[in-house]
Amino acid sequence: MITLEHVSKHYGETVAVDDLSLEVAQGEVCVLIGPSGCGKTTTLRMINRLIEPTSGRILVDGHDVTSVSPEQLRRGLGYAIQSVGLFPHVTVAGNIMTVPRLLGWDRPHMQARVQELLALVGLDPAEYSDKYPRQLSGGEAQRVGVARALAADPPVLLMDEPFGAVDPLTRERLQAEFARIQKELRKSVIFVTHDVDEAIRLADRIALMRDGHLQQYDTPEALLDHPATKFVHDFMGADRALKRLGRVRVSDVMRNEVPTMQDGSGAETMAQRASCAESRFVYIVDAGGRLEGWFDCVAFREGRVARDAITSVDWREAAVRPDTSLKEALSRMLGQGFRSIAVVDGDGRLLGDVALAGIEETMTAGDAYITHAGGEPEVDV
Amino acid sequence: MALVACLALPFAVLRPNRIVAGVSHAVWSAGGFGLLLVAACLAGAVASVATLRRRGSWLLAAASAITVVLAWALGAAASTLLRGAAPFARVSIGGGAWLALAGAAVLWFAGAHGERGRWALGVSSSVATLGLLGAGAFGGLGRLSIAVEYANQGPQFWQLVGTHLAVAGTALGIAMVIGVPFGVVCARAPRVRAVVLAVVGIIQTVPSLALLGLLIVPLAALGLPGIGPLPGIIALTLYALLPIVRDTYVGLAGVDAAIVDAGRGMGMSRSQLLLRVEAPLALPLVIEGIRSAAVLVIGIAAVVAFIGVGTLGQLIFLGIGQTADDLVLLGAVPMVVLAIAADGALRLLSRALVSPGIREAAS
Repeated sequence: MITLEHVSKHYGETVAVDDLSLEVAQGEVCVLIGPSGCGKTTTLRMINRLIEPTSGRILVDGHDVTSVSPEQLRRGLGYAIQSVGLFPHVTVAGNIMTVPRLLGWDRPHMQARVQELLALVGLDPAEYSDKYPRQLSGGEAQRVGVARALAADPPVLLMDEPFGAVDPLTRERLQAEFARIQKELRKSVIFVTHDVDEAIRLADRIALMRDGHLQQYDTPEALLDHPATKFVHDFMGADRALKRLGRVRVSDVMRNEVPTMQDGSGAETMAQRASCAESRFVYIVDAGGRLEGWFDCVAFREGRVARDAITSVDWREAAVRPDTSLKEALSRMLGQGFRSIAVVDGDGRLLGDVALAGIEETMTAGDAYITHAGGEPEVDV
Repeated sequence: MALVACLALPFAVLRPNRIVAGVSHAVWSAGGFGLLLVAACLAGAVASVATLRRRGSWLLAAASAITVVLAWALGAAASTLLRGAAPFARVSIGGGAWLALAGAAVLWFAGAHGERGRWALGVSSSVATLGLLGAGAFGGLGRLSIAVEYANQGPQFWQLVGTHLAVAGTALGIAMVIGVPFGVVCARAPRVRAVVLAVVGIIQTVPSLALLGLLIVPLAALGLPGIGPLPGIIALTLYALLPIVRDTYVGLAGVDAAIVDAGRGMGMSRSQLLLRVEAPLALPLVIEGIRSAAVLVIGIAAVVAFIGVGTLGQLIFLGIGQTADDLVLLGAVPMVVLAIAADGALRLLSRALVSPGIREAAS
């Protein structure tokens, strides 16, 4: 879908990108990563001709990008950037309609598209259409940025650190949602980031760059298990088994059957029942199945009154979602000091949980694989 | 402060005729209205201390009350002092009354700033205006010296106001037509910017009278008159350029680079980017520049009277020539009113045109 053939960019003596060749297949996410100044952003900006290459050729869908005017080219390529770049003087709806308006869509068509896109990125159209960017939180603004890039339904998305300017928790949500949207839309995406975890989580293929050179272009698994150079090895980090957990989603290892009880009032009798025999914790949910806390059977058996064995929690903080990465779930679990963590849906309804044991299994599988590959990977420096 | 000024400084001045110095009279000369005025100023002081920024409407009420009572008190003073005086005797406004008026203005602006709803502004302005008109018609305000000077000028006064506005307005219009594009060019081309900003900056430093003098030579070379409306308008246009060019440039340069990048990356052409993104974002500053230019030009338009253009400056120069202070005032006060009106009108324009998305969060 996107082909770079021997593309170079020189600024006088400085070489920003050197003889880069790359092919991104239809529907794939290619993450460009590397230390700052490695040429990843330059590469992205050459695709939509915000920067013209010094030499080489870039093809999108088989057509040379220089065969049409830059404006026409860019209207066909979705573009989202780090600081979002939302137009502050235009409403959310107006921002999303930017490219459709340039393409001359009629008004009802554009309005319908705005509704559709806001729903897609998880924002209520009725509430958000007429807001101005300054009224949005960082995460909401990033969602609108993604919706804007998708507005004219371009086959290709160019994203330059689109989730770079938000807090880690929001970033995690945005990544999960991006993965969901991408699964649905199957765009060809070029995604620039400097965050290895983000790359591992979202990429079909990672292009790791350094000083304008492509170091390795392969699947995240291949970069983790068979780094082509010492630089790739070091860049991907020593905790490769842990990193690999970023590729696995909570729903893949989640336990669906968990002991639950409705509110804490029946705790005494609950404790006598079998559920305490098979698990230390019994989740407490409300009438709608929403997570409210848990009951600690051990503490109860050790003689505390039932009320003291109950821990009340806010599901927004104490639980993960099915599309959360296992790495994130593990880090949250350890952060809270528990051996398992509840899984809830978007409304807080309890779906199940993930236990440390389950994660260990996944990790061991990875370790075994690495050990099998020969401990320290072979590197040609 | 207005209160102290009211009491301590002369409130009204009685002169035997329009040009000689006169005898000062305290606020008591206004009789009952004088006492009322003191009370109103006292109320204003209380209002400003008690409400300190919380409820602007009280300050507005105090300001309009002071204004109205002041007008009636001056009228009463004029009537009282002129009773039994010689036919050419005049009563001028004293320092105390001016300071009371200034105090009312301060209260009004403070109140207008703090007040969110606009109805209080409207009501207080209408009350003050009606009070002033009433004082003019029935309260003897028309017997003050400045009003007598106005009556002497007759229709010529309004002609001068008209010319003043026409000259200033034309210059402002031309400066906008030239200045805004220059501002855009400045934002686009750094080399041109250095030259343009330096040139308009230098023009700004030339004293206005000197500029009028300097213009005579090149205009003569072109076979054009060195005096009259043409050089006047040229000079005013040159002065208006700096704020307009500079603020247009600053407004455009201040647009976040990421926003421009996003627009470009989505396929906007140069002109679409300018019209749909950069211009709306720079608009508040562009209007700000036009506002500064308008106030500046209304002021300098007075000087143009020197080269034979009939602006309000003519009354000032005439008044100075005749040492008739109140004639000077008849020229100066309307200019202040014009400047304030232009300022207010452009602020309203800014409110109406600037997108709510980028208005100050406070408003």
